Amino acid sequence: MSDLVRISLDAEVCIGVGQCELLEPTVFVLDDDEGISMLVGSAHLVPERAELVVNRCPSGAIRIAEDASPMGLESTQIPDG
Amino acid sequence: MVDLADPGLYRHGIPHEVFAELRANPQLSWNAIDGDPEDGFWAVTRHADIVAVSRDTDVFSSAAGHIQIYDIDADALSARASMIDMDPPMHTRLRRLVSSVFTPRHVRGYRRTIRARVRAALDDLANGGGGDWVSSVAKPIPIGVICDIMGVPEADHGYMIELSDHLVAGTGSKPLDPSAYGNTTDLRLLPFNSPAAYAMASYAGDLAKLRRKNPGDDLITMLIQAEVDGDSLTESEFANFFRLMIFAGNETTRSAMSHLGMHLVGFADEFARVRVDRSLLDSAAEEVIRYSSPILYFRRTALQPTELSETRISAGDRVVMWYAAANFDEAVFAEPLRFRVDRPAVPANVAFGGGGAHFCLGASLARLELVELIDEICDRDLHLEIPTEPEYVDSNFVNGIEHLKVVLR
Repeated sequence: MSDLVRISLDAEVCIGVGQCELLEPTVFVLDDDEGISMLVGSAHLVPERAELVVNRCPSGAIRIAEDASPMGLESTQIPDG
Repeated sequence: MVDLADPGLYRHGIPHEVFAELRANPQLSWNAIDGDPEDGFWAVTRHADIVAVSRDTDVFSSAAGHIQIYDIDADALSARASMIDMDPPMHTRLRRLVSSVFTPRHVRGYRRTIRARVRAALDDLANGGGGDWVSSVAKPIPIGVICDIMGVPEADHGYMIELSDHLVAGTGSKPLDPSAYGNTTDLRLLPFNSPAAYAMASYAGDLAKLRRKNPGDDLITMLIQAEVDGDSLTESEFANFFRLMIFAGNETTRSAMSHLGMHLVGFADEFARVRVDRSLLDSAAEEVIRYSSPILYFRRTALQPTELSETRISAGDRVVMWYAAANFDEAVFAEPLRFRVDRPAVPANVAFGGGGAHFCLGASLARLELVELIDEICDRDLHLEIPTEPEYVDSNFVNGIEHLKVVLR
């Protein structure tokens, strides 16, 4: 089972190109009023997808957060009951 | 010594050998202007260097100096400025007014109207059994699409094309008539030093008046209703915004579509693959964009001393990013002169810029327009012949084609 990494988004740098929303619509959504991207939910992705999103973001606003160690998938699961 | 600012250098398209030589220099190359060794610019030709300059808006400014090679006076700079001539945070505030209209999600909504324009253009070409690919196909599609989005009436599309062409002429080698379009403004105060900028500003003003009375579901209405830090756009801010959108949404995609006409013939084997496998449409369109590199360069001005590729750059130095060189950088693109419809998407080409704040606002729209055009060409199994050499636009700034005669076979 692969580890997930947390995504961070710099709202000052984002120019609202929307590549992130195209690639990962469950993590990014473009706020039409603000004209920038917003993170949805816990903002975790598998490393390969995270790298792709970071690479495709033209503004450089998206990064893989380095302040936390990679998180195991099991810890993001909602406990039963 | 080659002068990259000489429009004559681009008379037959991108000067690949010149750029290859400059890329091979481990440092940045100094390009003197008019033989004056003190006056000139740093030529940035490698992919990695262009990405570095593009992303560092703190050091490499779009607001200081000018984004074109020639310098302009401070009063002219402020009179002419649109968001492309600004740095964050002002640039960011203006860009966010319109960015939501150009996201991939939003531009998908234009797919049907784009396709209708593509079909009309190809019908027009077919009716004549061929003709000028540029005036029949490459010009009407992008101007039609951007004017639909802006809210410019169909009857005025031709006028918008004419004015855009006249703006580009300001980057060519011939002087322009200062009094064209009834212009009375000092040319140095006008974008591209072109009187067409004056005409475009007065047109924009008239249209804004109409939309204030009768708002529409279009970008012009959005802009006149928009507020930045509580203020509406001023008349000149609005006019500069309008000009930027019409020019950038029209001229660039037109160039890519013009080059596509040549690619269809020159790289017929590659397009034969797309004809039978439409999953290649996106990468084929991207390769057309890379290979045509519609905008040859943009300039930045260093705000502080810095270093790039073992080269010391002083504050105030002009730094010119030659996208058309970096898009053929062998360090990034394997066999760069080979046209490949399945070229990998990463690393990205820099035809839309090297990233950072000024990455092309209309990139998703341009890509979609090209995909729709190529898809329709495949649907019709359209095949071209080019009986004569194309005629390039006289400019050191755009890699445009004036005329491309084609015969349908």
